Amino acid sequence: MTETLISTLVQDLRPIRNRAMQTRLAGAVALGALITIPYAWLLLSLAIGRPFVPLWGEGMFWMKFGYALVLGLLGLSAVPALSRPDGHIRWPFVAAGLLTLVVFGLGMARWMTNNWAMPDLMGNSALVCPWLIGLTGLPMLAALLGAMRVLAPRSPAWAGLAAGLLAGGFGALAYALFCDENGMMFIAVWYGLGIGLTTALGALLGRWLLRW
Amino acid sequence: MQVDGTEQRLRGLMLAALDGDANAYRALLSDLARYLRPWFTRRLSPAHASHAEDLVQETLLAVHARRMTYDRTRPFTAWLHAIAHHKFVDHVRRHAIRPTVPLDDDAPIFAVDDSAHAADRRDVDAVLSTVSPRTADLIRQTRIEGASVAEAAARHGMTETAAKVSIHRGLKALMGRFGGGGK
Repeated sequence: MTETLISTLVQDLRPIRNRAMQTRLAGAVALGALITIPYAWLLLSLAIGRPFVPLWGEGMFWMKFGYALVLGLLGLSAVPALSRPDGHIRWPFVAAGLLTLVVFGLGMARWMTNNWAMPDLMGNSALVCPWLIGLTGLPMLAALLGAMRVLAPRSPAWAGLAAGLLAGGFGALAYALFCDENGMMFIAVWYGLGIGLTTALGALLGRWLLRW
Repeated sequence: MQVDGTEQRLRGLMLAALDGDANAYRALLSDLARYLRPWFTRRLSPAHASHAEDLVQETLLAVHARRMTYDRTRPFTAWLHAIAHHKFVDHVRRHAIRPTVPLDDDAPIFAVDDSAHAADRRDVDAVLSTVSPRTADLIRQTRIEGASVAEAAARHGMTETAAKVSIHRGLKALMGRFGGGGK
């Protein structure tokens, strides 16, 4: 019985290229990014009516962009290790938590010097911002989870969490191109929530989709 | 050391298989099946020993389908151990089986696998043939195959105490004969 299985498997043998898993994950990130470009424009510009206004000249734009990018990269550095059965990595999540705290602290400091003015925190779009960031991150999350289904994560939930962090960071990065908010506290709270939302969604879906 | 030798040999076979060498792959899978069978059996209670073969097959399937996740720069046995462990935990949960070994028991997968060696097995047979067949079978069941004394006793229709005494006497006789007179 086991002998038959072995023969079947041997017949099914195909060479595996070196770093095939990394290539697959990189392909998923590229696919997710490619889908996000038209998707974000359709969702945010056409459906919600946000103009595409990346405020390249403003420091706060780069703050948003950099925050989202670093969180996304931290997710990216955790995905390959957590996709293996013997993989173990925690520092990207610790670093993401610390970075969130630092940004939150900076936001509080600036808000305090501004006499706790409400617009600093709420801007004009506080209540839609996290949801839109979550929506913008969906294609990347779907591409990643799809590619990871044939992998063998030691813990499906942790692998999904890493994919969610990557997708959340990338979604926020794309969203920043359509967002004219410039309060530090706004970014700390609402961008943080939006990315956190996608990360939690990734963990939930991963727990279910990445089982093997 | 046996562990390092095994790691080296299996890793060599795995690397060849990843490059498409069917003969190496067949040798690898056969070896894995032989190593995994006692590994799973030891972790299951005797009542569930029949699940071991299912687990071996599930593990081989996972090794095949997910071999992309093996990092060529890392130990092969650690990767295999992680897959076998994952399959075991999954199986135990699904079938609500009580494992006989704590799940965090990270003993190396190949370290204790002496039963796979035909020569050793023949030696055991030869040694056990010098005591009475019933005692030999009791020793074999409790000390080699992992059955409890109560189960072995039940199979021979004797009380647990009688089985214990019989095993003890048998082992003592064997020690006297083969122990080299040291103790």
